[in-house]
Amino acid sequence: MSTEPRFSHRNRWFTIAVVVTALIAATSAAMGFVVLPSLQTNTRFTGIWDAICSAAGLVRAAPAGQPVVQANYKTTDVILSSSTLDGSSAISIGRGATLAMRCTMCHGTRGVSEADSPNLAGQYIMVIFKQLQDYKSGARTNAVMTPRVADLTDRDMRDLAAYYAYLPRLPPYHPATAGPAPQIVESGAPMRNIAPCATCHGTLYYKTGSAWLEGESSVYLQAQLKAFASGARHNDISEQMRNIARGMSSAEIEAAAQYYANQPQ
Amino acid sequence: MTEHADSATVAARMERRWGTVSIGIILALVFMAAYIGVHQGVMPQPRVETVDPRTLHIAGEFIESNLGTAAEPDGSVTVRAIGQQYSFTPQCIVVPADTQVTIRATSADVIHGFLIEHSNVNTMLVPGYISTIVTRFPAPSERLMPCHEFCGAGHEGMWGRIKVINKAAFAKLAADQRRMTCVAQ
Amino acid sequence: MLHSKRLILSHFWLAFAGFGVALLLGEWQMFIRSPLHAWIGDPEVYYRSVTAHGTAMAYVFPTLVAMGFGYAITEAALKRPLIGGKWAWAGFALVAVGTVTAVIPVSLGLASVLYTFYPPLIGSPFYYIGIVLVVVGSWIWVALMSVNLYAWKRANPDVPVPLAMFANVAGSYLWAWTAVGAAIELLFQIIPAALGLTTTIDAGLARVFFSWTLHAIVYFWLMPTYIAYYTIIPRAIGGRLFSDPMARISFALFLVVAMPIGVHHLFADPEVGAGFKFMHSVFTAFVAVPTLLTVFTICASVEIAGRLRGGKGVLGWLTALPWRNPMMLAVTFSFVMLGFGGAGGLINMSYQLDASIHNTQWITGHFHLIFGGAIVIMYFAIAYDLWPHLTGRALDSFEMMRMQLWSWFIGMIVLTFPWHYVGILGMPRRMAFYDYTDPAIAPQALSVIASVIGGAILVVSGALFIAVLVRGHLAARVEPGEYRFSIAVHQPHRVPVALNGFGLWVSLMVALTVINYGFPIVHLLSLSNTSVPVVTIGAAGR
Repeated sequence: MSTEPRFSHRNRWFTIAVVVTALIAATSAAMGFVVLPSLQTNTRFTGIWDAICSAAGLVRAAPAGQPVVQANYKTTDVILSSSTLDGSSAISIGRGATLAMRCTMCHGTRGVSEADSPNLAGQYIMVIFKQLQDYKSGARTNAVMTPRVADLTDRDMRDLAAYYAYLPRLPPYHPATAGPAPQIVESGAPMRNIAPCATCHGTLYYKTGSAWLEGESSVYLQAQLKAFASGARHNDISEQMRNIARGMSSAEIEAAAQYYANQPQ
Repeated sequence: MTEHADSATVAARMERRWGTVSIGIILALVFMAAYIGVHQGVMPQPRVETVDPRTLHIAGEFIESNLGTAAEPDGSVTVRAIGQQYSFTPQCIVVPADTQVTIRATSADVIHGFLIEHSNVNTMLVPGYISTIVTRFPAPSERLMPCHEFCGAGHEGMWGRIKVINKAAFAKLAADQRRMTCVAQ
Repeated sequence: MLHSKRLILSHFWLAFAGFGVALLLGEWQMFIRSPLHAWIGDPEVYYRSVTAHGTAMAYVFPTLVAMGFGYAITEAALKRPLIGGKWAWAGFALVAVGTVTAVIPVSLGLASVLYTFYPPLIGSPFYYIGIVLVVVGSWIWVALMSVNLYAWKRANPDVPVPLAMFANVAGSYLWAWTAVGAAIELLFQIIPAALGLTTTIDAGLARVFFSWTLHAIVYFWLMPTYIAYYTIIPRAIGGRLFSDPMARISFALFLVVAMPIGVHHLFADPEVGAGFKFMHSVFTAFVAVPTLLTVFTICASVEIAGRLRGGKGVLGWLTALPWRNPMMLAVTFSFVMLGFGGAGGLINMSYQLDASIHNTQWITGHFHLIFGGAIVIMYFAIAYDLWPHLTGRALDSFEMMRMQLWSWFIGMIVLTFPWHYVGILGMPRRMAFYDYTDPAIAPQALSVIASVIGGAILVVSGALFIAVLVRGHLAARVEPGEYRFSIAVHQPHRVPVALNGFGLWVSLMVALTVINYGFPIVHLLSLSNTSVPVVTIGAAGR
């Protein structure tokens, strides 16, 4: 048994196995790379070589299309990343603290608002940075904020974000008994394309760019949800928040805002 | 011994016959696939195209104002859409019936699925790559368009819709909009 | 004579313990998302459960069964003690430690990425490291199978390798090469990202690597089942194996064509060219060849049993079969489920038909029918057949065994047929809720309830299975005698060298992998702009 050569054309098994395998491979390749692409009616290839390369999966340029339609409003041009703002230095936080002096009127001396402006203490650094950028670019507008960010540099915005992110979240300002999460917060409304809030704004599941909501003012949250729903606020990337807010009823907006406002920070 | 040899020959002959039948079945199946491919010109994802998911919203064909359905000069329509945690934009896609529809879609973050119920539109959205599907909807209807690939804890909330409307109604829409959706404002 | 009884029993018990827990999770998943239960509130718990169920059922359970059965075959077929028993225990320990390492982060919700990983979603590194340990443990088994075979061959140069051992080693080689795709994905893409060493990942490339593993792994799961068809069933029902060389050819063909077909999972993907999709589709069709050969050989072997028991005429042999023998029931049910599952598989492999059911509940139904049904029911049969030889005690709860096999078969049909149906309706997979009040989804409600009932029957059957085995440990002592495999009608005295070793088949397997996967992988590797940011789960990014 062991004297028979294994890898040799004299071994019938070897020859047949290799030839059959090669034949199947070659035939299917000819069909897949040449015949089928050349018969496509939906996709026009510029020639046989283009067809073969496309079938092989080489990256092709997009087919020429009509000009891109630009929005008649400003959208955000921030690129979100969970890592670009890592490692805020003490210097950065210190500079941010100085710059933040002018924000205390609305956002409180320690980043906790006494009015219905958003609390910033302990907010995610990327969130503050992105909102400042959007105010500056005009993607988000607000009579109070827009003029105040006009002269901020990129570094100023990073430092401010670092400072507020560094501040400890304080005990809740809005006192109330926290009830169970309403349906819209806990389960969302799948058929209206509303995912549960915590799948982006949560602690286990978090989507970069989503804000920390616990303890935020209910008035502020409701105003923002309504602004997203109407499109008046449109600095969310690719409509991700507008898509959700549009489907919410006003009762659900109120319930969700109340729920988050009543959570400890 | 000869009886043994005979029965061995019979067995070998039966096996050869069955082997032939098996190969015949396989070849018939392959032939069917090839025939449909030739006859209907169906090629899944005719070309590979790449795109940077980080900058979809800043420039290029996937900025929000360019998403939705565009009427092409040749009478067909092109739908552009993106998937993101946890929605499609546009949430509701509108297309004319009995018209060639080219869907170009991609993902802004993780892997999503793109499925239109009761149709053969079914593709993966993989961040970094553009998916293309060419299809045709025979008659007006309204269908669900769920994400069919796990994309995170909110996956079960990722349902879009598609409305197929008649050609005249679509032409009316197209008269005063360059990109159409059926998202309720 | 089995020498390493404790080793083999440890593998089986760990496998069946994991199976039992995962079975309960599976039924819970079916239940909470059915119309019978209100929404669970936190959907994340559901995805945790899916991750645990898939990880246990796909990676841990079949791997341990193949390993334990492989050690038993080595000793029983080669008629000598296992070489490298200490290494075998080390492999077992790695699988056990890996399982625990993976399960802890999953149960804490830190790795709800599903067993198919889906980067750029990235969970806790411990989850992935645990799975790597499981695979490394199983690779020790592969090496031991090889070592034992070659040591025996050197001692017996002129005797054909026993069929059971030939098939067993074929399965181990298939697994060794199959696991490489996912191993590359884990070691070079996912684990560096999970550890924070990299912040981007090419999701398309990762899918290609995973498809390398994801389809051929099914044939690794299938190997113990096919080994049982050929080498246990004919003996257990009083027949003969129809043909020994045909069996070898089937196993050799699995080695060659199981691998270069994984891209059929990616028919709907944008990162692989249509030409390669077509090639993989063709080879997927050819993977049916060894199964068709097997169906023929086993049916013929069963017919021999019927005729030896006095069955006459065209169909008379059927009624003469030992229908009360659990092994006869198991192989019958397995074949029926393989038939239905295979028919569904023909739709999945077809590049055009696939579009109507890709990634819907149809797919879940399909692989539960094939794996959970046709394959796992033979794992039960293997355990029943081996148990007296492992425990030295009688396994005689025949009534319970019959009930268990019947209920597994009925449960699996009731579970999976409605699943296929709702898949055709377009029901997507793996969602924590379905809103059955929506008019477009309401028609699926009844089918989903039927599946829940099927799942409940399976839970009962799983409990019966464990009960039968436990009773086997408590029964009266017996001397089970030597563990024997089926005898062929014509026992081979010589086999062609190609069917006595693996050189040719392994070479073809690697060559076809290179042809069908080489270009797509190299091309994607060469793209510099397709890596996308990692999306970490399980911890808020501050």
